[in-house]
Amino acid sequence: MASGEEESGEFYLRYYVGHKGKFGHEFLEFEFRSDGKLRYANNSNYKNDTIIRKEVYLTPAVLRECRRIISQSEIMKEDDNNWPEPDRVGRQELEIVMGNEHISFTTSKIGSLMDVQNSADPEGLRIFYYLVQDLKCFVFSLISLHFKIKPI
Amino acid sequence: MAAPDGEALDFEPEDDDLMDEDGGATDASPRAPPLPKLKSAITSSSSLSAPMKTKGRGFRQETDPNRNTRLAASDFDSLTTEGGPGPQRSIEGWIILVTGVHEEAQEDDLQNAFGEYGEIKNLHLNLDRRTGFVKGYALIEYERAEEARNAIENLNGSELLTHIIGVDWAFSSGPINDSIRRKNVRSSRGERRSRSPRRRF
Repeated sequence: MASGEEESGEFYLRYYVGHKGKFGHEFLEFEFRSDGKLRYANNSNYKNDTIIRKEVYLTPAVLRECRRIISQSEIMKEDDNNWPEPDRVGRQELEIVMGNEHISFTTSKIGSLMDVQNSADPEGLRIFYYLVQDLKCFVFSLISLHFKIKPI
Repeated sequence: MAAPDGEALDFEPEDDDLMDEDGGATDASPRAPPLPKLKSAITSSSSLSAPMKTKGRGFRQETDPNRNTRLAASDFDSLTTEGGPGPQRSIEGWIILVTGVHEEAQEDDLQNAFGEYGEIKNLHLNLDRRTGFVKGYALIEYERAEEARNAIENLNGSELLTHIIGVDWAFSSGPINDSIRRKNVRSSRGERRSRSPRRRF
């Protein structure tokens, strides 16, 4: 199953984490598109007022690796039904299109594994928690190597 | 190892809550999905692919009204390309992606193999956040394109710690060609997207 999904078919991924508060709307968002475009936006008004927006085209090899990471996580089998609702602390959104499946999950920010353990769906939320970290790690490496910025 | 920390944002929670959680709207699809297949799933039963299965709150709840504009701005920074399709130079050099990396690989293993083709300016060997083992890929920076090209030509498909590795450019000067998107049956896909009123870019 995995190799087929990794190789072909529709693909889209968007991740968002953010909140609105004293410093306005602060967020991090990135997106992979099937034509290879990676977009990255980071708006933190705390240190300065500028939003960082970067975009670059990835090769099919990089997209394939992204698909592999997603397939391996088995996130597409999960559901956000029993995940914590977004709250004033913030929200996360993960939208993925792969093959003929389209997920659009929304939940609160997750501070630590404790939040995962105490949730109504620790197994599913744990998968989400680690996948998000692995994806961020991948994107931060790509953006920081390409643009020589520290993305965080 | 230059893996950035997993938690990117550490904002202080604030009292004033502007998050619109209870929009009350019943729009089942807050935003036009970024793919044309969804439509085909609804309108066409003769489509080659099975109907798109959707899942998640994103399809049931109203989301942030700003969602469509966050990534919609046109002023994203990018590095200009010097003509023609092909690998894209990064700010300080050329980045290649190594896949199929053994989970117990060390930076030294990659240094030894890839250092043959030029000085490695940067090496990211990121870890799986759950297991702590290598995630399976590495990103390597060379200063010169020839060094990167030589590494790709010589090491793609070679064996590293019993695993066959893939080595290729990481960045491209333009979009992936439609012919490469094997299962993309719709040729006018880009057009469709741009006509969408909810297009975000």
